[in-house]
Amino acid sequence: MEQNGRLTVLDPHGQPTGIFGRRLDARSKPGDILDPFAQPTSDLKPASLAPRLDALDGKTVYLVETGFAGSFEFMTEMQDWFAKNMPSVKTVLRHKRGTMFSDDPQLWVEMKSSGADAAILGVGG
Amino acid sequence: MVTARFADFVERDARARGMRPRFSYPPYPVMGMSRAVLREYIEGHDPLTARPLMEEVIGALTQPVTEEEKHPKIVRKPRRPRLLAPDSGENIYRQFVENGWTDGLPIVLPTEDRVAEMLAGTDHAPDEIVGRMLITPQQEKFEYTVEKVAAIAVMAGARPEHLPVILAIAATQEPSMPSSTTSWGRMVVVNGPIRNEIDMNCGTAALSPFNLANSVIGRAWTLMTINFGDARAGETFMASLGHNLNYNNMCFGENEEQSVFEPFHLQKGFSADESVVSVFRGWNVLNFGLGPAKEMAHVMSTFGSMGSSVTFVVDPLVAKSLRAEGFETKRDACKWIVENSKVPAGHYWEGQQSGFAKRLAEQGVEPFASWAKVRNDALIAPRHSPDDINILVVGGETNPMWITTDFTYTRSASIDQWRPKCGIRRDAKPLRMPAAVSCKDGLCGIPESTSVIEPERAPADA
Repeated sequence: MEQNGRLTVLDPHGQPTGIFGRRLDARSKPGDILDPFAQPTSDLKPASLAPRLDALDGKTVYLVETGFAGSFEFMTEMQDWFAKNMPSVKTVLRHKRGTMFSDDPQLWVEMKSSGADAAILGVGG
Repeated sequence: MVTARFADFVERDARARGMRPRFSYPPYPVMGMSRAVLREYIEGHDPLTARPLMEEVIGALTQPVTEEEKHPKIVRKPRRPRLLAPDSGENIYRQFVENGWTDGLPIVLPTEDRVAEMLAGTDHAPDEIVGRMLITPQQEKFEYTVEKVAAIAVMAGARPEHLPVILAIAATQEPSMPSSTTSWGRMVVVNGPIRNEIDMNCGTAALSPFNLANSVIGRAWTLMTINFGDARAGETFMASLGHNLNYNNMCFGENEEQSVFEPFHLQKGFSADESVVSVFRGWNVLNFGLGPAKEMAHVMSTFGSMGSSVTFVVDPLVAKSLRAEGFETKRDACKWIVENSKVPAGHYWEGQQSGFAKRLAEQGVEPFASWAKVRNDALIAPRHSPDDINILVVGGETNPMWITTDFTYTRSASIDQWRPKCGIRRDAKPLRMPAAVSCKDGLCGIPESTSVIEPERAPADA
């Protein structure tokens, strides 16, 4: 409400209740504002990329389909592309087990033991 | 390979993990595209680099690893300060809004004194860690304490009496907005004595904004998700359309007093005198439901969803009518509904556009594998397990209506472990919105005296 050029506004301050809680830091002032954001928890260690191949000729490349809708068809087209454009590359098309959100450690072991030289995972999103 | 729409998302995520994987980006979308279009993608260019896509893929496998890729640096997020830098109330409020720490609606600033008062709502130490939350499976988790939860409770407009329920939700460590392009909605249901101690609305219009406890508890979950789960639209939160249930998460208390069935928390192994919060997750809510179990089965059979669960939210009159139909328990009704909601297999597979069920069928996961083998006109029960069908009773018996959702029950958590030993901390004069009128004599809400308005007199004959 404005009267004679002066504003009257509502007092936004809470009323005293006689109820007392606890502060984590007794030295901070009652009107100080707490940061509402949670704390980061990262304890990760950096991971290096694996060494690359000199060339793909004669190599075995796994095409791992991740499970998002359309990714099987996409990776199948990629397999066809290799067959047509780089026939010396052997491709193996595999489904990742479970859903797009789950890991498949069994497949990674299988790839290493069966002589995979490289892998392409796709397609996310 | 990741579609170009999510390039910044995966690059940011990888760097936060101390990795520099080599991504290549075909155009978006991939889902639903014909093989010819996908072939064009592969024979075409990465839209972000304008380089031929397959040339980029082959380069990613053959170009030597750089020093930066050998020794990537982790971009660590700094520890958060406990307090914000002092400023005017107006500027601090602006800071909350502009930093994306709110849901866009007005908040109460979490001052030291307000948070200290809020902490009177529990005996737990302010620095006790309640949990860790994240909105994507890959993202870095954030940790939060009792004090952080109390700060959020203040922001949401809660009072100390609400804090044990909000802490129990926080203890589930589940976000109200899991990041999915499919836009999740969520529901939070309270059972047990605390519903009445804090005057939650379990009756008339319980799902509408007429009750402080229902409103602030549901809202606090999303404010926690924003601040504890680091939800940022387009950065960490990728829902294409979003979901307006995210504002309040369908928060209500089950109407145990009017229900003829056992309360939901008893179904989950808790006792009747325990107070429990249960959370659900899904996408779809269909509000107009009317009729007997046969109609519930019919609606369920036509209710498309990527999931296999259905949760009915029913008025107590519906519970009574189900009992009158001969169902002794919720489970009896759910079992019958499952058996009577079969659809032709062909119809089911036509509705599975996400490819999720098809993929499980290809891997031999039952019952999807069997459904993929039967004829298109063979009847199958897409919601095949009574355990995946839930019935929750709420409402004021003004109409025997029910709501159909495709919500999955995900978790329950005890509220009582967060209660103070001296009991729920209510204000000397608890803050209450008007309670829903529950009229027993037909006269409720009618003023005792009304001014008499004289009927207009007909004009005198000329």
